Amino acid sequence: MKRIAVVATVYRYLSHAQHIGDRFLVGYPRDGAWHKPDMKVVSLYVDQKPDSDQSAARAKEFDFQVYPTIAETLRCGGSKLAVDAVLVIGEHGDYKRNDKGQVLYPRYEFVKQCVEVFEKDGVAVPLYNDKHLSYSFEHAKWMVDASKRLKFPMLAGSSLPVTWRLPDIELPLNSEIESALMVGYGGPDVMDFHGFEAMQCMLERRKGGESGVTAVQMIEGDAVWKAGEEGRYSKELLTAALSRSDTPQGQPVVDGRTQDLVARRELPKLVKTPAAYFIEYRDGLKATLLMLNGAVKDFTFAARVKGAVQSTQFFLSPEPNVTYSACLVRKIEELFDTGKAPYPVERTLLVSGMLESCLTSRLEGQKRLETPHLSVQYRAPQQSQHART
Amino acid sequence: MKISRRELLVSMAAAPIVLRAQRRPARPTLSAICTTYFKYSHAQHIVDRFLEGYGWNGTWHHPPMDLVSIYIDQIGDNDVSKSRLQQFPTMKLYPTIAEALTLGGSKLAVDGVILIGEHGRYPRNEKGQTKYPRYEFFKQIVKVFEDSGRSVPVFNDKHLSWNWDWSKEMYDTSRRMGFPLMAGSSLPVTWRTPSLEMPLGSRVREAMCICYGGVDSYDFHGLETLQCMVERRRGGETGVKWVQAYRGENFWKAHQEGVWPKDLFEASLCRSHTLKPVRAGFNHVMPSVDEMRTLVKDPVAYRYEHQDGLMCTMILLHGLIEDFNFAARLDGQQSIFSTQMYLPMPPGRTTLANFFSPLVNNFEQMYLTGKETYPAERTLLTTGLTAAGVESLFKQQARYETPHLAITYQPPKASTFWRT
Repeated sequence: MKRIAVVATVYRYLSHAQHIGDRFLVGYPRDGAWHKPDMKVVSLYVDQKPDSDQSAARAKEFDFQVYPTIAETLRCGGSKLAVDAVLVIGEHGDYKRNDKGQVLYPRYEFVKQCVEVFEKDGVAVPLYNDKHLSYSFEHAKWMVDASKRLKFPMLAGSSLPVTWRLPDIELPLNSEIESALMVGYGGPDVMDFHGFEAMQCMLERRKGGESGVTAVQMIEGDAVWKAGEEGRYSKELLTAALSRSDTPQGQPVVDGRTQDLVARRELPKLVKTPAAYFIEYRDGLKATLLMLNGAVKDFTFAARVKGAVQSTQFFLSPEPNVTYSACLVRKIEELFDTGKAPYPVERTLLVSGMLESCLTSRLEGQKRLETPHLSVQYRAPQQSQHART
Repeated sequence: MKISRRELLVSMAAAPIVLRAQRRPARPTLSAICTTYFKYSHAQHIVDRFLEGYGWNGTWHHPPMDLVSIYIDQIGDNDVSKSRLQQFPTMKLYPTIAEALTLGGSKLAVDGVILIGEHGRYPRNEKGQTKYPRYEFFKQIVKVFEDSGRSVPVFNDKHLSWNWDWSKEMYDTSRRMGFPLMAGSSLPVTWRTPSLEMPLGSRVREAMCICYGGVDSYDFHGLETLQCMVERRRGGETGVKWVQAYRGENFWKAHQEGVWPKDLFEASLCRSHTLKPVRAGFNHVMPSVDEMRTLVKDPVAYRYEHQDGLMCTMILLHGLIEDFNFAARLDGQQSIFSTQMYLPMPPGRTTLANFFSPLVNNFEQMYLTGKETYPAERTLLTTGLTAAGVESLFKQQARYETPHLAITYQPPKASTFWRT
């Protein structure tokens, strides 16, 4: 039975650490059965213990130890690495934001301490890092480089790429993608990350594989609508993406009616602070993430693929079950079990960098930024990785 | 068979003549006959999709037909039809069903009828059935057909009638007069997670649906969930021999005794996205039976046997889950076949009840082609099963023999659920 260490910012109800970590303790639904991982959480580190902290209660009930440092957690209080895999969950908790609006979650600091143990003890084990790698691309790069250097498999990212899709589509490998649009909701540096991950897991399947990003720009406010009028993103793709939404706001909320938000020009009325994130890939593909708070509350995608529009919704199933996190835990378990990442960590490395550069663009007067550092190249997995069984 | 471009052009040129010969207009007109029209009522979900359109196949779809008349039986304080009538003056409100169908004239003047007898204040009988006037509405529709010497396709929302004899008469009338009839729930046509279809000709040994809601209401949706899957089994549908209901303590006792298979029970719950956590501080745990009892105050099961021996169980676990989950044991397969029929349900989780989109899209096709995309017999059977379940409950949960439900039919070959 594999021994797991959990390194988290905070363990409270509905924090990522709770709903991901708990699945290793109590199991989760998988292929229509309740699956209990053949793994044991043996140690836990939590950076913050708010009043709602659950770490002590979980440790008592499930017979593991909470340690005061990450090194002790990985060594289970001994002198050598004493676990077979590490779950790093640096999401939620009370952390400051920088001037770009990024929450300074200590993911890099956590992974760095794990890597120090691996190096000192001469053994490295599989590591999953929840959400983006770091708010800083430089740090994110260091994290991925460390995994290459020490040869430990690493997986990272959001649940969006692996959750159910409505409809259940996958872009065939080597698709000729002409343009792409993702629509999401929520705040910067939080939900935009999920939007980027969902978009990237589709676009990385294009012909030639992922080539990296050459420039980005983030704009906000009325400029977003103007960019649409000027054709900087496709109205057809916007209509396609929104046609997949189950949560249009405005008139549907008032009296239940369906409404074509694009044709009826409702978006400017509903969205007070629209944001557009423009991504220029090195192979020439252009993609846009629109964050439309006030218009929708789900994540939808559309792309023009060899002349035809493909679209879907990335299904964020309801609280409190958030079964999408079960889809993610299945992948984490696969990483721990096989020692192979089911999909490349470079996806999340690139997305972490795209997001940081977009937020820099916003801070620097919403100007276009060249991103030579984002020449991250990788190939998409052959097999589909999202929930479909 | 390959069709040459020349043959294609010839057939395309001939098509309008064929359509005229069938008296099927290129752009049909429709009449909606509704009990009531308030926010999130079935009439609102369905009629609005004809007026405003809806998201379909990744675009905004406007049905290629015109809803020109509407009858509303109860216009209450919460009515939202007035704003629609103002905004869409092509749709006119008529005071009677006959006038809606004749557009105030003397003869049938529409090409299709949508009958939505769900919601509204109607009395309940001693068995707990709401006496929605679907049969009464249908009779009035058929009278116009008879008086006009012509009939058009009818869609009937949900089950046919609370009264079995009346339901049978509705079905028989459509066959006698030769008009297409579609009916039923959104459950057979909505998204599935995972997006699975029961392979045609499967050897289904046992099937189950676990869902939520109450008797004479969501039980029907659970039965439709089951039926759209099991009708695809080897030999097709054979009808149902008997139904037995279990409620309250009897339910838990039957569960304990293994009256229905526990493995299908667990598989169904494992497809849910809404399993209520029985333990504080945990977001997703599988409850024990004792824990379920604390959450589910009024469990109900309808267990029934088909004529070919297939056993099915529809279970309402209101309080534990809020979705529709299906599981089946197939001969020759080690693992259990299971999925969820996913309803994006407002207002808690969504703003639109988009499961009405595939329902509307299916019966839209009937108005265009004159062909039912799935058989009315399915809903005739589930209507009878709903009434039989209610009857068994009313008779102190005694087994209720159903020789009248020896309904046989074949399923459509093509899948009709939402997958694009």
